[in-house]
Amino acid sequence: MSDVNDTAPDDEMLAAEMVLGLASEQDTAAARQRMASDAAFSTKVVFWYERMTALTDDIDPVKPPARVKKKLFAQVFARQKVSILQRVLLWQGVAMASLLFAGYLGVQLLKVTTHPDIPPPVLAAQLDSDSSPLRVLAVLEPVKNEIALRRVAGEPVPNRSFELWAILPDQAPVSLGVLPDSETTRVAIPPSWRDQTAQMTLAISDEPIGGSPTGAPTGDVLAIGAMTNL
Amino acid sequence: MDRQEIEDLIARVALQDRAAFEQLYDRVSAKLFGVCLRVLNSRAAAEDAMQDTFVKIWNNADRYNSNDLSPMTWLITIARNTAIDRLRARKKGHQNLDSPGFELVAPGPTPEQSAVNASEAAKLAGCLETLEGDRGQAIRGAYLDGETYADLAVRFNVPLNTMRTWLRRGLIALRECMSL
Repeated sequence: MSDVNDTAPDDEMLAAEMVLGLASEQDTAAARQRMASDAAFSTKVVFWYERMTALTDDIDPVKPPARVKKKLFAQVFARQKVSILQRVLLWQGVAMASLLFAGYLGVQLLKVTTHPDIPPPVLAAQLDSDSSPLRVLAVLEPVKNEIALRRVAGEPVPNRSFELWAILPDQAPVSLGVLPDSETTRVAIPPSWRDQTAQMTLAISDEPIGGSPTGAPTGDVLAIGAMTNL
Repeated sequence: MDRQEIEDLIARVALQDRAAFEQLYDRVSAKLFGVCLRVLNSRAAAEDAMQDTFVKIWNNADRYNSNDLSPMTWLITIARNTAIDRLRARKKGHQNLDSPGFELVAPGPTPEQSAVNASEAAKLAGCLETLEGDRGQAIRGAYLDGETYADLAVRFNVPLNTMRTWLRRGLIALRECMSL
C-alpha cells in the first residue's frame, strides 16, 4: 500500500471496513485475531454485520434449480459414504459375513415386531487415535449381544495388555475385558447395557499384563471410537 | 424469518444431521440464491457460489454458536462473502473475505444486535439516504458489488485517499444515524 492514511482508522472504522470488505489484508487479519480476544471489538463487528445485512432485505428470493441441490448433496455426502463403505470393506471374510448375517437376523427379528419397515440398525465403531498406530474395528452383533473386534493396524506390545472399555455418556469406563493377541475376537455386552449400545463409546487402553489392577484405565488410551449407525 | 427455527436447524446441522441440512436448504436457499444472483449477476456463477455457500455452512455450523450473529445474518453473510470472493477472483490480486463465524468471537456483553428487526432494516435504508452526496451509494457498492476503495475512486472519479476519507465519514455518519 503506497497511499498514506490521513484518517487513522479507529476500531469502529476497522470493524465497518472489515465487514464491507474494504479493509486491507493486514488490517483484516489483525481484526480477525482481535475478534477472538476483544469482546468490545467483536461487538462492533457484529453490529456492522447485522446492519449491513439489512441491505439484502429487498433482494427477492429466487428458487434455485433442483440440480444445485443435487450437486450439493452429492458433494457434501459423497465422502461420508465412501468412508463408511471403506470401513465395511475393511471387514473381510468372516467379519463381513457375520455383519451381513447380523443384519439379516435383525430383519427377521424386526419382521415380527410392529415396525417392519424400519431397517435394522447396524452399529459399528472405528477405534483409533493420533498417538498410537493401533486401529481396531468393532461391529455390534445385536442378536448374540456381542461385539466383534478386528485389529487392522498396530501390534500387541510384549509384557503389556490391551484392555477394552465401554463408556456411556457421563459415566465412568467399564471394562469389557483384556483383548487376546489375536487379530479378531468377540466380547459379550453386559445385559444391562444392551439397550444403550447406540450411545456407547469404545476405548482401548495400555495396561499391565492381565489388565488394569484398579478397575479403571491406568495407562494411555491407545484407540477410541464412538458407535455409529452404518 | 423465524429466528428460533433456523437456529435450531443450524444446531442440528452442526451435529451432521443430514435431514436438518436438507430442511435448512429448503428454508433459506431461495434467499441465499437471490443474494448470490444480485452480487454475481449470472445464474451459472450464482449456482456455483450457492453450492460453495452451503458446503461452508455444513462444515462450519458448529462454529455458529460462538459468533453472536443472528442466524439469517450469518447465512446471508456467508453467501454474500462467497459471491464477492468469486466476483473478485476475476480481478488480479484479490483478497478473500472470510465469513463470520469462521473465527471465534470473544464472549462479551449481550450485543444489541439481537434486537435487529424490520424497523432496523428500514432505518439503515433511511440513514443511507441521509448521507451526503453519493456516500450511501458507495457503501452499497462496497457491500453488494464488492467494490474496493480503488474501484470506488475510479467510479466517483476522485483520488484514492479522498475516496477513503469520504467513505469513512459516511460510515461515521451512518453509525450515528443508526444508533439514534
